[in-house]
Amino acid sequence: MKRPLNPPGRTNNPTGYRPNPLMQTTPAPTREGKFSTLLQAESQTIAAWTKDWNARRVAGHLGIIILGAGCFGAAMGWWRSPEQGMFVAIKFPLILLLTTLGNAALNAMLAPLLGLNLSLRQSLLAILMSFAITAAILGAFSPLLGFLVWNAPPMTPDVKSTATYGFIKLANVVVIAFAGIAGNARLYQLLRQLASHRRIARRVFVAWLAGNLFLGSQLSWMARPFIGSPQLPVVFLRADALKGNFYENVWSTLVELTRIDD
Amino acid sequence: MNESNPNPTVYPSQTAADLPPPPIQGPRPLGDDPTEREPIPNLFAAIESILRQPRRLMFQLRQPGAGQLIAAMFFVTMVCSAIYGVIVGSFSGGAQWWAAPVKISAGLLLATIICLPSLYIFTCLSGAQARLIEILGLVAGLLMLMTILLIGFAPVAWLFSQSTNHLAWMGALHLIFWGIATIFGLRFLEAGFAHAKARSHAGLYTWSIIFVLVALQMTTALRPIVGTSAKLLPTEKKFFLTHWGDSIKAATEKSPDPVR
Repeated sequence: MKRPLNPPGRTNNPTGYRPNPLMQTTPAPTREGKFSTLLQAESQTIAAWTKDWNARRVAGHLGIIILGAGCFGAAMGWWRSPEQGMFVAIKFPLILLLTTLGNAALNAMLAPLLGLNLSLRQSLLAILMSFAITAAILGAFSPLLGFLVWNAPPMTPDVKSTATYGFIKLANVVVIAFAGIAGNARLYQLLRQLASHRRIARRVFVAWLAGNLFLGSQLSWMARPFIGSPQLPVVFLRADALKGNFYENVWSTLVELTRIDD
Repeated sequence: MNESNPNPTVYPSQTAADLPPPPIQGPRPLGDDPTEREPIPNLFAAIESILRQPRRLMFQLRQPGAGQLIAAMFFVTMVCSAIYGVIVGSFSGGAQWWAAPVKISAGLLLATIICLPSLYIFTCLSGAQARLIEILGLVAGLLMLMTILLIGFAPVAWLFSQSTNHLAWMGALHLIFWGIATIFGLRFLEAGFAHAKARSHAGLYTWSIIFVLVALQMTTALRPIVGTSAKLLPTEKKFFLTHWGDSIKAATEKSPDPVR
């Protein structure tokens, strides 16, 4: 007797009908279920997650950040060389984790000052969750970026003037922006769940976002190179990593652009 | 004609229970028709279901133990794409008899592997309550429907392969067939996605564009598929539009009269 491709299972129902799992209201307590809860806008569940310190859940979020951002970093640096890919695979998750930890105390202080009574643990978990979402999206797009790099011609000395370089850079920016927006959108939804008023949630969100952008930009500046350049050696950090800062560079660029030559 | 009625019918006052049920929002729930709950016993039933009863297939993909059905769908996809690949390879003959089927099957699988994680992310972000296995099942359905339709186009493609030697023309014909098959495949995916209670389909549409672009680039990354070359895989990296432009130019220069 042939077995059907989808056996009806142990049921007395002759039609083999079982309730549609999608109609169930309780999410399945699987690892995938928790992961999809993180990505879906299930703010109530995530708000409950921030109330207690669950080591396994935190480890899960850390794992997503390391794996997701690492895969994206590897795809980003791979065009220059596999070694560069390996370096960026380490640097990219480090930037996210150092931004989370570096601003943890500040964010925990800002939240109650702006009207939202969160503990250090809660604010840290909330930001870790938003970075985990960002990293998951980055990780999901890393095969696409890898495919793009695989199809790109090798880097040449004049690569920065080519359309391919511009396209790969643009693709990186678009994916990072999308992932960042999605992660922060979820963070805002979570803050809306935790705060009594929309105004308070918005204030805390803007303050956290500003702090994270400020520190994250500088960390990214120090962690150069990412895509890399064929004229420069493959290094983990540039020799001038600790000389100057991101904002100083932006300022000097602005001065250069606005300078009127006599 | 007098419209006034001296003895109008008196209807009893309607209560909430008497009122007709409100219209169902969204698509009809899967499995409300008993025929949709019938298990799919074999590969042929799976093929017939996707063509005639896609809702039956969608329902079965959501049941426990759907992994076997999904594996069967991937098997059908591989077989059908290999058969169509033989037709594609018949244009050039030689090594292309085996290289084209291998490249088409492998390319389709590789494009799916590359794009699947982003589809899962888009699905979750849109609020859809679908598990990874259900998404995998819908993608398997997309591929199976695509390749079954390609088999339908195969006799026409074979006829043209034997009657013309214009490479660009044959490439365009295969692309048209592939495009039509893809549209039907994506329609199946969208229909399946509609049952996952997503808030928006914007992510799915974005993913569809990404999938099409990756698949098109795959045809260039694994070239030659229709034509011939001394090497099995290319050494020069190209964007698919550049490759198409070069192929059209080369074919026009080589053969001013496209008819064999």
